Amino acid sequence: MTYSSSLAMNRSRFIARNQNAVSFKAQAKSLGPVSNTLTLIVLACLLGMFYLSQVTRTNAFGYQINNLQQTQANLKNQESNLQVESARLQSINRIDNSSVAKSMVAVSPSGAAQN
Amino acid sequence: MVSSNDNKDDSINARLKLWYGLLVIVIVVFIIQLFNIEVIHYQKYKNKALSYQLEAYNIPATRGLIEAKEGNSIVPIVLNQELYTLYADPPLIKNLNKTASRVTSVIGGNVNNYKSLMSIKGTQYVILAHKITASQNSKILSYKMPGIGSQGQDYRAYPDGSLAAQVLGFVNNSGVGEYGLEQAMNKQLSGTPGRLKAITDANGVPLAASKGNIDIPPKPGDNVVTTLNLSMQAQMEKILASEYKKTKSHQLSAIIMNPYNGQVLAMANYPTYNPNNYQNVSNQKLFQNAAVDYAIEPGSTMKTLTTPTAINVGAITPSESFYDPAHWVIDGFNIHDISIDGGAREQNIASILSLSLNTGATWMLMQMSNKGHTQITAKGIDTWHNYMVNHFRLGQPTGIEQGYQASGYVPPPDMADPSINLTYANTAFGQGVTMTAIQQLAAFNSVIDGGIYFKPTLVSELISPSGKIVVNKPKILEKNVVAPSVGKDMIPLLQNVVKAYLHGGSTFMNFPANYIVGGKTGTAQVAAPTGGYYKNIFNGTYIGFVGGDQPQYTIIVYNIKPNVAGYAGTNASQPVFADLAHMLINEGYVIPRT
Repeated sequence: MTYSSSLAMNRSRFIARNQNAVSFKAQAKSLGPVSNTLTLIVLACLLGMFYLSQVTRTNAFGYQINNLQQTQANLKNQESNLQVESARLQSINRIDNSSVAKSMVAVSPSGAAQN
Repeated sequence: MVSSNDNKDDSINARLKLWYGLLVIVIVVFIIQLFNIEVIHYQKYKNKALSYQLEAYNIPATRGLIEAKEGNSIVPIVLNQELYTLYADPPLIKNLNKTASRVTSVIGGNVNNYKSLMSIKGTQYVILAHKITASQNSKILSYKMPGIGSQGQDYRAYPDGSLAAQVLGFVNNSGVGEYGLEQAMNKQLSGTPGRLKAITDANGVPLAASKGNIDIPPKPGDNVVTTLNLSMQAQMEKILASEYKKTKSHQLSAIIMNPYNGQVLAMANYPTYNPNNYQNVSNQKLFQNAAVDYAIEPGSTMKTLTTPTAINVGAITPSESFYDPAHWVIDGFNIHDISIDGGAREQNIASILSLSLNTGATWMLMQMSNKGHTQITAKGIDTWHNYMVNHFRLGQPTGIEQGYQASGYVPPPDMADPSINLTYANTAFGQGVTMTAIQQLAAFNSVIDGGIYFKPTLVSELISPSGKIVVNKPKILEKNVVAPSVGKDMIPLLQNVVKAYLHGGSTFMNFPANYIVGGKTGTAQVAAPTGGYYKNIFNGTYIGFVGGDQPQYTIIVYNIKPNVAGYAGTNASQPVFADLAHMLINEGYVIPRT
């Protein structure tokens, strides 16, 4: 028995007595299981890609935030350094040892001396 | 008949089935393995993955600043600064001479030293310099020299150098405050560290889209505004440095306070150190604020507490006279005056203070025991002990915001002790009892201000990162220490002491007429570790006030083992007090008499 004859025999098993072997039943316009599966897979892929694009986009913001935080930290460090420098320049010791201070003359105490 | 095509089809089918079977087996193996990994060992692999991806950091909080008053403004005296440690990775250094000379040109130092450090073999980390500045760091890094790198670290910066060093303390390498305000206010200054827990990329950058990221920002510490007046502090330190050299003391301490609220306006010790370089200090005693953590027997400055106690309990009156026999025999020991006090004769309360009569102080204790008699009894001892401990709060730390504080010692009124009378007679003139400068000055303030003991404080206000100001209000620890009238009685008595020294030739005790200045000297024998007292080693103390219509500032000076001729209190500590009082008057800190 050939492969085609075996198919024919198989098909004949479903044909009832006195019934036409060929029927022209109207086909319902729906996708088959393979198409459905493929469609679902494609949709899932699209969804996955959309998710990935969103995650990547969000993570990109993370890099931006990180850069901004880094900049903020650097600026704060600069601010601290400038504050320290300013405090050093205004420190009493420095002013005391300045040429202006050295050229100043002490004044006598006010008021009459107590006897 | 079976055709050759049929045989071929069968063979293909068999092979297809074989491959199909193999494929199924492979898929089953994969499924089992995936099940094993993803279900059975889920937690293990999850943890493993997280160990690579999940980073958790504690983000240190910025430490609060310490500020102080200067004129009408508040200026920072302790700040934060990021400094860098410069290191070398010797195997990576390509041009040794060029690298070493470039490092030298930026941060100074010896080029040969750098060369030898950069040539050390068998290591990949050699520190070339600590605490280089941000500009030096960026200049060195701009050369892009192979094998040279740096690490940033936050440090405390003390722009005024050694100014108020022992009051401020320092912050150690672990970021914890040690000594002084840095230690006492560590909790408020430290703030709360933040926490970052997140899935990160290979560079450690947090992935914002990860679930369960924790990002708690750090809360910076509060700024502490001290009560110190910077100019006053600086001038006090100058005076101490100068007098220290003159008197060749072991240590010199002084405090200026506002007696009406307990605020410390200046507090210093000499010798001192620079907290910017605390690592270089070999003598750790220099870190201690002796004014609050070194207790000594104060000597006759104690009479400024004995006298108001005796007046307050009604044992004596400020104008009372008594016959001074020039010596008392207590528990078999002689308590006597010095010969220049004139021997046995009529004395009064003013002369007890101006001549610093130990017999007079003992007599006051006798009057507390039984008025009109000359014995020391349990009543007098209990009364005096009660005043020392409960009214003047001696024998316990004052609670001032400093890292370490000494309690001092007040002998218990143990009447079973056969020499308790002698012990307590000694305490009346400042021997056998120990206290710190801050304890004694706080007690003295409670007399001068009319009977209120204010907790001494170095903190004026706390400023939170949001700018909220919490004022540290004066805290009253004892009321009715003495009656207000007793404080008023003491002022002329102490002014009289200053006048007596002026008349005695201490011209430096001459103050302008529109100011009031009063005080008392103290010379105390120093206890020997083997028992008894050294014959020729003394501590000198001075306590007093300066003001216009009323005392405005109180001052104490502790001079440890000065090398001067005569009395340590008179010749070593009194000149320091005079310098400080003149400074306060001359610089316009004191409002003159109206």
